[in-house]
Amino acid sequence: MNIIFTLVLSLSTILLILNNPDAVLSAFLDGGEKALNLSLKLVVVYAVWLGIFEILRRTELDKKLSKLLKPINKFLFGKTSEDANNFISMNLSANMLGISGATTPLGINAISELEKEQNSYYKTAMFFVLNATSVQILPSSVIALRSSMGSISSGDIIIPSILSTLVSTVVGIILVKIFIKKS
Amino acid sequence: MSKYIIPVLIIILLVFSVVKKVKPYNAFIEGAKQSIDLTFSIFPYLVGVLILSELFEISGLADMFSNLVSPLFSLFGIPKELTKLVIIKPFSGSGSLAILSDVYLKFGVDSYIARCASAIYGSSETVFFISSVYFAKSKNKKLFLPILISLIASFFSTVFACFICKIL
Repeated sequence: MNIIFTLVLSLSTILLILNNPDAVLSAFLDGGEKALNLSLKLVVVYAVWLGIFEILRRTELDKKLSKLLKPINKFLFGKTSEDANNFISMNLSANMLGISGATTPLGINAISELEKEQNSYYKTAMFFVLNATSVQILPSSVIALRSSMGSISSGDIIIPSILSTLVSTVVGIILVKIFIKKS
Repeated sequence: MSKYIIPVLIIILLVFSVVKKVKPYNAFIEGAKQSIDLTFSIFPYLVGVLILSELFEISGLADMFSNLVSPLFSLFGIPKELTKLVIIKPFSGSGSLAILSDVYLKFGVDSYIARCASAIYGSSETVFFISSVYFAKSKNKKLFLPILISLIASFFSTVFACFICKIL
């Protein structure tokens, strides 16, 4: 992140100095303001989902889900603790359903659990790549946008989307398995 | 169909909580409590990423970079009208959504370009956003290789999306 941050910020700032030096500081502040507005939304979204997850946890439905996904988790991560497994399974399910607000708190928890374990670099990398390559099955937001803009068959893109997202996820998994060694 | 999934799941959850004698209200409040702490801890990361994407776009760097790589992208079959979408997507969800609706307006929702853009949007994620927020509470931030892998994988799916939309 440091490389990208430094590179993008310095190049952008140089460009702005040439075109519009006044805009530099205001762009920083605008970015910060957007972060504040986003946080206000997120605090609500997280409250709702963390509330629901706590009910899930107490009814132990999350354990049922992670039992169901255990073979997949084992293939991807190897041996992981029960807690990590629960968070991973819930995160991946939320991702597949496209519940974007729910994925983040689960993702953060999953990463903290994975970091306590052996091979943590490999495991967190695999988990990150799965999330960053999108495993969404139903692109509901895109479909909604398309039909609101008058598409005659807004569902047309479901199959291409599923196939493409499968490509990115499979390529991601393969690359992690090749380049990030289990220590 | 998809709009029924979450409501149905919530009903199942509530029924289960009665069966398992869990007090759903107490549990909900306990869980919701954590949201303020969580948002607090990710706030600085949000500021960092959003400043990054703000400067990237308004400085014109995003456009310059798009123009630079678009000949290369078109070798792989990515239409030059969509280069910017591919470039912005890792930085910003809202930015790329804005580009997506622009594409819909400009080329028509059911055109090849628009379907292609939809598949690209749906098959990739905001890589930089996820990398900073997900690791907000973690000490180890060796993320260079994982980020690179995610970007390469997303590029593969983008190329594939442009191809599959042509034949389907």
